[in-house]
Amino acid sequence: MSAVEVVGCVKRYGAVAALDDVSLAFSNGEFFGLLGPSGSGKTTLLRAIAGFIELDSGRVLLDGDDIGHVPVHKRDIGMVFQNYALFPHMTVFDNVAFGLSVRKMDGAEIKRRVDEILGLVRLGGLQDRKPKQLSGGQQQRVALARALVTRPKVLLLDEPLGALDKHLREEMQVELRRIQREVGITTIFVTHDQEEAMTLCDRIAIMNQGAIVQVGAPLDVYEHPLNRFAAGFLGVANFLEGRVASVAGSEARIDLALGGQALAGAGGLAAGAPVVIAVRPEKIDIAAADGDAGPNRLSGAVTGAVFSGSSTTYRVAVGEQVLAVFQQNSVPRRFQAGDRVTLHWSPEHNVLVAP
Amino acid sequence: MTPRQRQRGAIFALTGPAYIWLAVTIFLPLAAMLYCSVLDISPLIPEPSHFTLRNYAAFFQKSFYLPLTWWSLLIGIWTTLFSFLVGYPAAYGLAKKIKGRWREALFLLIVLPFWSNALVRIFSWTMVLRQGGLIDMMVHAVFPEAPSMAILFTYPAVVVGLVHSYVPYMILTCYVSLQAIDDSLMEAARSLGANNWTVFRRVVFPLSLPGIISGAILIFVPVIGSFMEPRILGGAKGATLGMNIEEQFTVTANWPLGAALSFTLLAIVLIIFAVLYPILKRQGIWS
Amino acid sequence: MSATAQQGSRAPRADLGGLMAKIYLGVVLLFLYVPIFVMAALAFNRSPLYELPFQFDLIWFKTLANNPRLLQAGWNSIYIAILNTVIATALGTMAALAFARYSFRGRGLMQLMLLPPITIPWLVIGTAMLVFFFWVFNWGPFAAACGAVFGAANCGPRSLFTILLGHVALSLPYVIIVVGARLADFPKSVEEAAATLGATPWQTFWRVSAPIIAPGVVAAALFAFATSFDQFVISYFLAPPGVTTLPVAIYTSIRKGFTPEINAISTIIIVVSMGIMLITARFYKFGGER
Repeated sequence: MSAVEVVGCVKRYGAVAALDDVSLAFSNGEFFGLLGPSGSGKTTLLRAIAGFIELDSGRVLLDGDDIGHVPVHKRDIGMVFQNYALFPHMTVFDNVAFGLSVRKMDGAEIKRRVDEILGLVRLGGLQDRKPKQLSGGQQQRVALARALVTRPKVLLLDEPLGALDKHLREEMQVELRRIQREVGITTIFVTHDQEEAMTLCDRIAIMNQGAIVQVGAPLDVYEHPLNRFAAGFLGVANFLEGRVASVAGSEARIDLALGGQALAGAGGLAAGAPVVIAVRPEKIDIAAADGDAGPNRLSGAVTGAVFSGSSTTYRVAVGEQVLAVFQQNSVPRRFQAGDRVTLHWSPEHNVLVAP
Repeated sequence: MTPRQRQRGAIFALTGPAYIWLAVTIFLPLAAMLYCSVLDISPLIPEPSHFTLRNYAAFFQKSFYLPLTWWSLLIGIWTTLFSFLVGYPAAYGLAKKIKGRWREALFLLIVLPFWSNALVRIFSWTMVLRQGGLIDMMVHAVFPEAPSMAILFTYPAVVVGLVHSYVPYMILTCYVSLQAIDDSLMEAARSLGANNWTVFRRVVFPLSLPGIISGAILIFVPVIGSFMEPRILGGAKGATLGMNIEEQFTVTANWPLGAALSFTLLAIVLIIFAVLYPILKRQGIWS
Repeated sequence: MSATAQQGSRAPRADLGGLMAKIYLGVVLLFLYVPIFVMAALAFNRSPLYELPFQFDLIWFKTLANNPRLLQAGWNSIYIAILNTVIATALGTMAALAFARYSFRGRGLMQLMLLPPITIPWLVIGTAMLVFFFWVFNWGPFAAACGAVFGAANCGPRSLFTILLGHVALSLPYVIIVVGARLADFPKSVEEAAATLGATPWQTFWRVSAPIIAPGVVAAALFAFATSFDQFVISYFLAPPGVTTLPVAIYTSIRKGFTPEINAISTIIIVVSMGIMLITARFYKFGGER
């Protein structure tokens, strides 16, 4: 079990900074997600930790030791690749045994360890198959077993579930989490799928354009995004622009650009300051237009409704802007395009974000 | 040693031997030949030589070089055309009409002679085309009174032999590009109301054009430089530019003239490429 | 109604298409193989003037066995083909590995440099080699150095040594392309995976990369052998007087006049070449069909 730390990592490709002064600490035994759009630098960071990429500057620490100049094969890491990268000419057993045999372990011990790990990933009995003869989910388990059998200090996962269909993906998420808990290994997981990151990870870091945008537990990042990018990338958010009208104690009154007012925590705001408020669609109540006025209350017209089984997502035009509103289908009343509606939410759901 | 230096070292160690070899056997000789083509005295004669362009001028001044070149080009055009007419339908049938084991077996049978000895295959045609050969015999079996058929040592004999040698190129390149056309494209065209002929003309043929063009290049270029095939099948009559170049090196020992003629041949090839370049680029062959 | 009628007629028509394609390909195969069979058949016919009726006889193969010039040429061909195979396969595989595993400046240009040996007519390449080697071997210091190492008989613009140089140059691009195709088929991440599991670069190459590309290398080696064994033009210009390779010896004989002895040796060559390619086909799927 080990802790990994990266400090001041910079990697440039020509004029583009794939990593722009990135520092992060991964704690012992945690499941950490690196989340971001493609080109955000998440894979570059993972490959720098693995040792495939040489950083222009910055350090990679494993249990406090700088491993920046240690070649990949001496780093003692386990990695699962996006396409699994199973050795096509070896059986499942030989694939999993590979890491042990290059460590010159004796045959009986290899056999014992491979059997044990294949049991853990529930692949017992498939030892003699070639990778081609396995399903996507089975290949995924072999790749995981192969990465774990050497008992590495850290497990690196590069979009490992990307190639699986939705159903198998959800099943493997559960499996991955179970196996990680049983082994207790520090795990760094790269994904562009925000739902997957929230489901699996103890903590996540959102990356954009080579820099860390926000780090925290999924719930914290979701409920308290620091800026517009974090709010928009992790889940869906409505952004309301405005200006602080007045501050009274811990509460700020904000004039919204699309009309109406909002109340929010003051948090060091001064009157006149421009602000952006993020409101999650599921925090907003939708009701038939009632003509009431007041803060955190907007009226508009439904322009569309997307029914998805347990819930409905409405698109509501308020002034120039279209807001997303999410409603559980436990509510009997449904709206149709053209209905006049009033939107309402409580002040604590207004999150001030950096623009 | 930094990883970057180590990588540079690895690249050099891996590619160096092959490319030094190519430099010594292909690129330096071509440069030497270019130099030789502007000398007034053959290197074989131990006398000081001087710069001259008269070897190139000879190509235009001597009356027989232009017709000779024309014949060479004509043989190249006929061979390419017949290879296309014979090869394209074969490639189409193989890629679109025949499946499974049949396809594998037929494909292998087509490429098999292609990788066997070219000289021997050209020789084998003399057995078919000569007086008293297979064709002569078959004609006489049907029409005993017919005059004897002497096809050997004629231009058509040369073209037949060359088509035999090179048609697998056309089948191969066309097959590769026809194979890559997804059947759903043809189904889509049909669903939009196109009949079979229109599907072929508007969808299949344009998409297979890269294969046809690369096949044509792979055939045309070596054919206009051929000398062995016209010598065996065309005899004395079948004079081509390639045969003349060969004679400059083996018989008359006028190396500078031979070198100049070689580069003229290369220049013709390059001019043809330059003319075709826009098409090649559009078809994505130049990648 | 008309739709169903069309539907009904489509299936048999598709079969007809397949049948016609097979018949047509049969005709093409006749065109490709009949001359070869005729030539081979006449190698077993007793008449020295190819006269019929056919009388089976092995006499031409027997005279072949007593023709020391042709036998020597045969040995030269095999000797050069083997050396060519070893050298071209080794150098070509190395270059293909560099192209597949590193991206570096000049890579595109280097790959473009593989085209001249394939596309420039052999006549031009062969004569260019003759001119260049003539100058190189007439340069005193080089001739002396070469003579000291390989013996004076093997040093000259026309020699088995320069023929080998030329054959390797023609084989290299094919080896690089064939092995490169195999390498392109297996992603770099497989090698990276081996590194993360603790394998050194050396272990990674021998235990992971080498077994995976082995079929490609074997196919490339067989291509290289066939290229050299069948190569005529280069050998023709670089063959020293009196010493030849098989194709050059055959050409010289053809120029003197056709004899069934040529049919006999040609038949042997065709059988060997096709045999090699049949073995190659086990390792290399032609035509991009995997």
